Amino acid sequence: MSQKFKNLSALVDGEDIASGTSRSQMLDAVKDDVDLQLKWRSYHLIRDGLRQEMPVNIHFDIADKVAQALEAEPAILAPKKTWRNIPLVSNVVPFAKQGGQMAIAASAAIVMIIGVQQLNQADVIQPFNAAPPIPGIQGGLSPVSFDQARTVVNSDGAEQKKRINAYMTDHKQQLRFKTIQIDNGAATIPNTGIKNNIKSNIKSNIKSNIKNKEAHLDIVENISK
Amino acid sequence: MLKTFLSKILSKVALTLLSIIFVPLQTFALGEPATAVAAASYPSDSAQAWLAKMSNAVKSLNYTVSFVLLKPGMDSQPYLWRHGVNEDGLEMEQLNLLNGPGREVVRIGNKVSYFEPNVPPYSLYSSIINGPLPSEFLQRPEKLMLSYEFIMVGRSRIAGRAAQQIRIISKDKSRFGLNVWLDQETGLLLKMNMFSQEAQLLEQIQVTDLQVTEKPDLFFSKIEPEILPEVVSFSPSTEFNSKWTIGYIPKGMMIVKRDFLRLSGSGVVVEYIMLSDGLIDVSVYLQARDNDKPQSNLVGTVQSDTLLTIEHGELNITVIGKIPAATANAIAKSIERLAK
Repeated sequence: MSQKFKNLSALVDGEDIASGTSRSQMLDAVKDDVDLQLKWRSYHLIRDGLRQEMPVNIHFDIADKVAQALEAEPAILAPKKTWRNIPLVSNVVPFAKQGGQMAIAASAAIVMIIGVQQLNQADVIQPFNAAPPIPGIQGGLSPVSFDQARTVVNSDGAEQKKRINAYMTDHKQQLRFKTIQIDNGAATIPNTGIKNNIKSNIKSNIKSNIKNKEAHLDIVENISK
Repeated sequence: MLKTFLSKILSKVALTLLSIIFVPLQTFALGEPATAVAAASYPSDSAQAWLAKMSNAVKSLNYTVSFVLLKPGMDSQPYLWRHGVNEDGLEMEQLNLLNGPGREVVRIGNKVSYFEPNVPPYSLYSSIINGPLPSEFLQRPEKLMLSYEFIMVGRSRIAGRAAQQIRIISKDKSRFGLNVWLDQETGLLLKMNMFSQEAQLLEQIQVTDLQVTEKPDLFFSKIEPEILPEVVSFSPSTEFNSKWTIGYIPKGMMIVKRDFLRLSGSGVVVEYIMLSDGLIDVSVYLQARDNDKPQSNLVGTVQSDTLLTIEHGELNITVIGKIPAATANAIAKSIERLAK
């Protein structure tokens, strides 16, 4: 029995089925077996859920089940009499209930007071998360805070924006001109060529360097336009 | 007599001690290269074997792929990506942005030529095309084994083909995760999702059409390698001594570039450091602080890049890249003056 389900699970996952049965045999078995059909359905549902591929509308057959449940429901004619209906007890119970609620409210208040105190303390120690420069190596990950107050004080939004844009453009530039040599033999040839150049003729190399730099500037200017 | 006996015992003890120490060391040393090299030693249905299959297919097959790049706050961008290997074993690759004025990149072996609007065409010596595809990851996925975990998720259907899904997660949670779907038959990339720690989608590459052919596409036969634009090389300034050092570099990342440069636009001179782990690149800018103009600390996202800029000691530090803000902050705060 469990082997049967195991095989089905493997089939649904696209893995190899362990025992001698082939895929088509397995599929035939599903056609004839109601147990397997139900499992087939739930395995797919589970898989879709795990992979976040669930459809927007899932058509579970709710109507069926509701109808069944309604039929099974016993008809209630009148509420049963309980001990709550006895006059004296019915007055005592709500009072006890209220007392309980008060106690809960009081304890919640205490928790809140403690919580607030702790929060306040933390505030006193650290007014800004990102602001104070801390010397030394900070190995661990510390939270980043968006320092809203300071931005408002500066109020020089345009300059900030310009600066960020300059950095973003340069980051893209850097990625654009990134070169990677994956050493497959042939990849190393141009490198050694350049090195030899440096050794043999420094002057021409400097010249070409300048030329390259100019070319670079040309490209950069054109892009930033 | 007693002395010699004692010394004998001592030497024996020393030997056994030494062997106790050395044996595990040796096995450790033997174990190391196994993790570094190879895919061959992994079972064929492991994530490592699948990624090896992918990198092999990316480099050796002739294929034409159409894909769409999606980023938040940006229109979708359709691309055409072709790859071929000619009779001499030379790799040829083309990447073409299909909307608007376009952007065309051609790689012949080790020379990559860029043709873009408003920019004179130029070439670089490189083994990869800089573009929307994580080319370095596609060719060298084993670089990520140190800092990422690969998890097989199962099969599904992408772009009308059977696909194998692999989840790639940063071990120390210092970087974003990836979901990758590879073609069951060829191992080529069919879909890639980059997601944040909160499982929010940051960037997506979705292949819409994949064709693997026996011969390279006719497009490549039309290229004349002699008339491709000249190679522009940027040799870093030779005398480079920085006063600053980064204390925290996320595991698996390396400094791949370091230079002084002048920001285009503002003209400010900054020190530039690029970190890379073979999947994502992070830029770090160090700028001497101008005391008259206090800058505000800021963190935010621009498309799928995180941008963080903070005051730190004598510096204004800006970190940009596809990393969580907490990691950017940790990198920035770990920068300190070199002890002399």
